[in-house]
Amino acid sequence: MALLDVNRLTVSLTTKTGTLDAVSDLTFSLEPGRTVGLVGESGAGKSMIGRTIAQLLPPGFAVSGGALMFDGEDLVTMAPDRRRALLGRDIAFIPQEPLSALNPVLTIGQQFREHLDHIGKGGAGWKDRAVAEMEAVRLTDPRGLLDRYPHQLSGGMCQRVLIAMAFASRPRLLIADEPTTALDVSVQAQIVRLIAEMQERDGTAVIFITHDLRLAAEICDEVIVLYAGRQAEYGPAEVLFRTPAHPYTRCLELAVPDVAGAPRGLYLLPERMPGLKAIAELTGCRFAGRCPLADARCRAEEPALAEVGAGHVSACWKSFATEAIAPPQAPDRVATGQEKILEAQGLTKSFVTKWRMFRGATLFHALKSADFIVRDAEFVGVVGESGSGKSTLARTLIGLETPTSGALELLGRDITGTDGGTRDWRQAQMQIVFQDPQSALNPRRKVGTIVGQALEVEVPRPAGAEIEARIRQLLSETGLSQEMVARYPSQLSGGQKQRVNIARALCRLPRLLIADEIASGLDVSVQAQLLNLLLRLRAELGFSMLFISHDLAVVRYLCDRVLVMSKGEIVESGATEDVFANPRHPYTRSLLAAVPKGVRQPAMTEAST
Amino acid sequence: MEKRFFWLRSGRVITGLSIIALLVICALFAPWLAPNDPTEQDILNTLVPPVWQTGGDWTFPLGTDGLGRCVLSRIIYGSRIALTVAVFGALGAMILGSVLAHIAGYFGGWVDWVIGRVVEIWLSFPPVILSLILMVGLGAGLQNVILAIIVVDWTRFCRVLRSDVMVVARRDYVAAARLLGFSHWRTVTREILPATLPLLITLMSLEMGVAVVVEAILSFVGMSVGAEVPAWGQMIADARADIYQAPWTLILPILAIFVTVFGFNILGDGLRRTLDTRLTQTERA
Repeated sequence: MALLDVNRLTVSLTTKTGTLDAVSDLTFSLEPGRTVGLVGESGAGKSMIGRTIAQLLPPGFAVSGGALMFDGEDLVTMAPDRRRALLGRDIAFIPQEPLSALNPVLTIGQQFREHLDHIGKGGAGWKDRAVAEMEAVRLTDPRGLLDRYPHQLSGGMCQRVLIAMAFASRPRLLIADEPTTALDVSVQAQIVRLIAEMQERDGTAVIFITHDLRLAAEICDEVIVLYAGRQAEYGPAEVLFRTPAHPYTRCLELAVPDVAGAPRGLYLLPERMPGLKAIAELTGCRFAGRCPLADARCRAEEPALAEVGAGHVSACWKSFATEAIAPPQAPDRVATGQEKILEAQGLTKSFVTKWRMFRGATLFHALKSADFIVRDAEFVGVVGESGSGKSTLARTLIGLETPTSGALELLGRDITGTDGGTRDWRQAQMQIVFQDPQSALNPRRKVGTIVGQALEVEVPRPAGAEIEARIRQLLSETGLSQEMVARYPSQLSGGQKQRVNIARALCRLPRLLIADEIASGLDVSVQAQLLNLLLRLRAELGFSMLFISHDLAVVRYLCDRVLVMSKGEIVESGATEDVFANPRHPYTRSLLAAVPKGVRQPAMTEAST
Repeated sequence: MEKRFFWLRSGRVITGLSIIALLVICALFAPWLAPNDPTEQDILNTLVPPVWQTGGDWTFPLGTDGLGRCVLSRIIYGSRIALTVAVFGALGAMILGSVLAHIAGYFGGWVDWVIGRVVEIWLSFPPVILSLILMVGLGAGLQNVILAIIVVDWTRFCRVLRSDVMVVARRDYVAAARLLGFSHWRTVTREILPATLPLLITLMSLEMGVAVVVEAILSFVGMSVGAEVPAWGQMIADARADIYQAPWTLILPILAIFVTVFGFNILGDGLRRTLDTRLTQTERA
């Protein structure tokens, strides 16, 4: 008998006007030792299952139908005492944000002890048990870690501590909600391998929630693709990834660029996933509005899950035709000019970490002698893990930090000076697009005034009508509708905010854009739209860009050249295709190896058998 | 327009505003509202009880004090002093404190260090003693009371606002504004001030309540306005002698102070709840 049996589970939100389903008729079962992946974009309802089991549903949401059987007991109707006894002991969780899941004011030891007490393994000798659990997840010096606080540990280490805690009770079911999203790729690979190892040791069943189809295909036995709260497709991971039957799965896969293989375009899913309200008003297939194969029947009748192969089901009328969805042509490469836009020579930035009288300062070298050139209409990618100095490079180039030494020339003019004239000129020629659109847009300004902000201080100040016209032009260039002018940032979606962010930077037609992780944290379909927008804007306006990202596939799709950074140094640089096809530096190779490719790793296949 | 006045929907704000509106009316129309001259002594009618007690008289609705002065008239006239001090004292403290807070929080570094140390030294003086010393040095008078309140209480604004300014100044949109060529002045007034304004208004409202209390303390010990001007603290001080024969002469001014401070505080609390985005974000989302 299956350990977890989810049968037509429906979770709905009750509002004044009625009930809206966030998850409808979710059905799957999970055997001990197996892994099921829940994949989908934000809003697909993939986190709801974990929240239902933990009884952590957001206010207003409740299970309105179906059963959630854990080892023969229904978790939905179970007495709260019984559920508390199961949670943390038989059912364990690994959260998305390791740093916020640990209490910052308690040491790792205190938190570990609390957990051991809860699962009945506390008491004398808890320390040895905690150390043994931490050794199992290959944390070095676990005894020393017990006295440390979470902020003294890296994200990867925190996640290991949480995994050690989760597996301390030898759980029968583990729910991992995007456990690696906040981590670097190479750390992600280690964490994923670790979960698989622990799973094999204890025969644990795992529900792995992720937005990354490739990662799911690599580590899961079965994958469920969710769309707007409904199962679109369910099947063995490899089959589902190689030959997807549902058009949504196919489009999702084609919306993400690859790190290897022939260059291709990104499939652009139009618009967005319908919200809860829109779903309730839909009659046919929920994906019909965005589906390239949709016809009249799709819009009228909702398809049920139908078998398309061994253990492989798909909720689509046209599963057989899915293969026909082809990726678009690779975008045309714009010929880059020869003119040097930006030239950095020996650019260095050091921070004083400690300063003592008579002994001088202790320095941290965030950027060690960087040399590079950005040419006309060229997109240069900067890749590296967190802490590699990517963001320091961006802040130094734009002038938020003053370089410690080195030369920096913009269009042949030295811009290391800080006098007003140089600053104004630099700001007109070079602009930055910040990473987090939430923080980069003033919540109290309307979109129109944000976009036209740069013109407010131009001397002489342009006429009102002129500013207005420029705002409208920028909005249409970045694919935003004209009525956005009067909206506030909080009324926009993540992708729209990022477009506003770009429009503001382009206001005075700079020659160079610095983009700091602007595509991360967005859903894949939104990311694809954004990347294509940048390519189109370059073709229209002809600017250069320094594109900082941890996502190698995105850099490969977008950039002509790439700089690989590690520990403040540029360790490799060259034309993107060359670097990705023949990485020379071991660091580049390890970065590329850590990217999920949708193929089961040999070590992991072993682990799951 | 409906959206602009959303904060008027809060019950706390309405309550606070009504109390304050009542006070403002009392202060503005004191000569017409007061039944008697507040300073006129009537030796034949000392310690007359309020009308609802036996021996009460409609000539003096709330009775008279030990010198035969009308309590109601004195309370009505006393609101003039209380409100003037509340408005100008709080306004002055707010301007001084918030300007320094924005400078410290925005520029950081040594500027922040210097302002932070000044605030700390300032806070190490007990506020009541400091204001008494100031009043002794400056002499009695309405302007000097206001000055004393500003000098003592600006630190409150500076401390609380500085941390808010620091949080906002670290947002990327502030950096973006600088990079688009905004001057420091424009960045602070256009990008930071709108975000700190809700806190500023809230603090201002609370500070008005504090100013009323400080003025009462000062006038209680006879260091506020001169003895010829009616003030609530002074009334309490005068009533101490007859506390057993005529408790109302003591209770009524205390009640006036209580209601006034309550009005400012509940307004401040209501504004904090409706204007502070950190509290309302989850509700409105």
